[in-house]
Amino acid sequence: MKTMKTLLCMSLALLLAAAPALAGEDEAAENLSVWLGSQYTDFQDSPKKIGEYDKSGDGWGPEVGLNYFSRSDNTTFRLDGHYFDEENIIGQARGTVGNTLRFNARYRSLTHQTAQDRLANLEAREYLASTGNPGGKMLTHEIVDPDADYNIHRREILTRFQALLSQKNNVRLSLNHRSIIEDGTEQAIASNHCFSCHVTSRTRTIDQAQHQFEAGLDAEFGRLDLGYRFQYRLFDSDAPDVSAYYDPAKNPVSGAAAGEFSSRLVYDDEELVFGRLPRTEKTSHRVRLKTDLGKGRMTGSLGYARAKNKKSGETTESLIGAANYAVRLNDKTRLVTKGTAARQIGGDPYIDLPTFRDGAADLNETDFDYTRISTLDRWDTRLSAQVISRLTNRLTLSVLAGYNRIDRDDYPLVNEGTSTEKLTGQARLRYRKGLRLSTAVKYRFEKVSNPFVSARGLFEAAGNDILEPLIPVSQWIFYFQREDLRYQDITSLPTDKHVVEWKLSDRPNDRFSFSLGAKFTYDKNGDLDSLDVKHHSLQPSVALNFIPNAKWTLAAGYTGTLDKSRLPVTVALFDG
Amino acid sequence: MSDYESKAHNVYITASYVPAADLRLSATVAYNKAEASLQEVAMPGVEDRLEGELEDQDFTFEQMPLYSDLDFELINFTLGFEYVLSPQVTWTADGTFGTLWDYAPYVYDDETGAVFVVRSGLRIQL
Repeated sequence: MKTMKTLLCMSLALLLAAAPALAGEDEAAENLSVWLGSQYTDFQDSPKKIGEYDKSGDGWGPEVGLNYFSRSDNTTFRLDGHYFDEENIIGQARGTVGNTLRFNARYRSLTHQTAQDRLANLEAREYLASTGNPGGKMLTHEIVDPDADYNIHRREILTRFQALLSQKNNVRLSLNHRSIIEDGTEQAIASNHCFSCHVTSRTRTIDQAQHQFEAGLDAEFGRLDLGYRFQYRLFDSDAPDVSAYYDPAKNPVSGAAAGEFSSRLVYDDEELVFGRLPRTEKTSHRVRLKTDLGKGRMTGSLGYARAKNKKSGETTESLIGAANYAVRLNDKTRLVTKGTAARQIGGDPYIDLPTFRDGAADLNETDFDYTRISTLDRWDTRLSAQVISRLTNRLTLSVLAGYNRIDRDDYPLVNEGTSTEKLTGQARLRYRKGLRLSTAVKYRFEKVSNPFVSARGLFEAAGNDILEPLIPVSQWIFYFQREDLRYQDITSLPTDKHVVEWKLSDRPNDRFSFSLGAKFTYDKNGDLDSLDVKHHSLQPSVALNFIPNAKWTLAAGYTGTLDKSRLPVTVALFDG
Repeated sequence: MSDYESKAHNVYITASYVPAADLRLSATVAYNKAEASLQEVAMPGVEDRLEGELEDQDFTFEQMPLYSDLDFELINFTLGFEYVLSPQVTWTADGTFGTLWDYAPYVYDDETGAVFVVRSGLRIQL
């Protein structure tokens, strides 16, 4: 809250300092209006979905609106705002002084109501027909606070400031800021281990903020443009930790085998914090240049970013270079080429686990400590070329070819990473007749080889004849050994994707205009052995505008989405 | 394997009518229908891959696809007017009534609900 007030004061001070200068003394136009009123809101039955982004309560309340605009020879200033209630406010201030100063500040506050997952599907228990009694394998749920009313108050502050520091070389300074501050409550769900399969729900307090600051300097030296950007981003939460009690590990019916079950787990029979949020800081630097090259224009940039979770010490780094080149091939044809290469690196933390089966009756222990090698480490390279040609005065054709390759260092296996390649092709034909009629049709395809797949597999084979006891550690077969039984590559990503899109807008006369559109997408993955994964999507749209006379204005529209997916469905069978 | 299907339709009509220089009327009707469902899952036979009797197990999962059913209908009516009382003062009023039907309550319980909002005030030109 203190940060929020500080940011509001800073924004207001900057606005007030700039306003007199922006308004100017020689005002050619000025307009101020206020709206004073009130509103009454009444919810019936559940307000959670019908009023998801409305105010959260019933009753009367005052409302105030304000609009101000002024313009002089070379300055403009505009201030707009509306107060709905203390949690729903919008406001914006904008101003310019010639081409030397630009300022924009925006504040938006709203309430987001969220419902409570009743967890009703998490309720099942094994039945033993041989004894006529329920068995010990069960799934249960518990909502600690069933009457909880979840609301999140979200405030966003955005400021943009740009100043011309020097006419010579057109040196410009830009300062941008964005803050998103949220407080309220939401649902938090904790799961116990499989010996009890007990899922619990409780309320989590939200008190978090993310702040982003950016400073940039741009200058022009003849046909050479240079620029630098620095960005700092912070996410932090001041909310108290939420904790849950994790059940004692034992047979959920008889209470037997507590020592054995407990020795296999990292934690049980204790109150523990879960879902702890990180404190993340990210800094980035980017330099860019733009210059003539041959008959065309080249843009290049080089950036470095580093993010760190200040609570865990984990870091990620990325280095990205990009180059674009645009050249006119002839009077009617233009070529645009783009290339980027990015290197991403994540940390390799050491995972220190309690000794497996420490304290078990046979004292056969196993150490599962390991170093978790980052799966983020990779090269990501993208190349594309687009030719845009004006075939006639009304017809424009553009053809795009793209290539993307991702080389993973250590996924799925350390030092044996896989690569994913994607080829993209796109053609777009556009017809335009004056300002009244325009239509375009686009076709795009993507061909992907070896898309990202789960390294472990989706299914589990029957293991009776495969798994062996861990002699001499134990005569038993443990659950973790079943990882060896998993098979079947699975991914949600396609190997083939086709997109067809059509748009038409027309204004036959000054009273009537309409637009039509349709987008059809089809993708599939044919590389998944026995699985046949595919998606269809159709999105039609219609918009009509009709002004029959000076008194009437009519508008109507339709948008639709029809999606169909064919996907594998898996059912978890828990049977020891 | 199974098919998951979702459909969403949005229709709106708005009208603005200015019967006199000092009066403006407006109305909007918006309708949304959203449905989603998973077709019945046909699990492969597992008897030949398991030992012993399976009398306690049910592999048909007839009810499971119903977990994913979504079926909402939403309609919103808005009426508004502006009446110019004087060159500096305009009276505005608008009302919105929205109602949502939840035909397949499950995850969040029954979310059927309605909201009524009426707002009125004076816009003053200073």
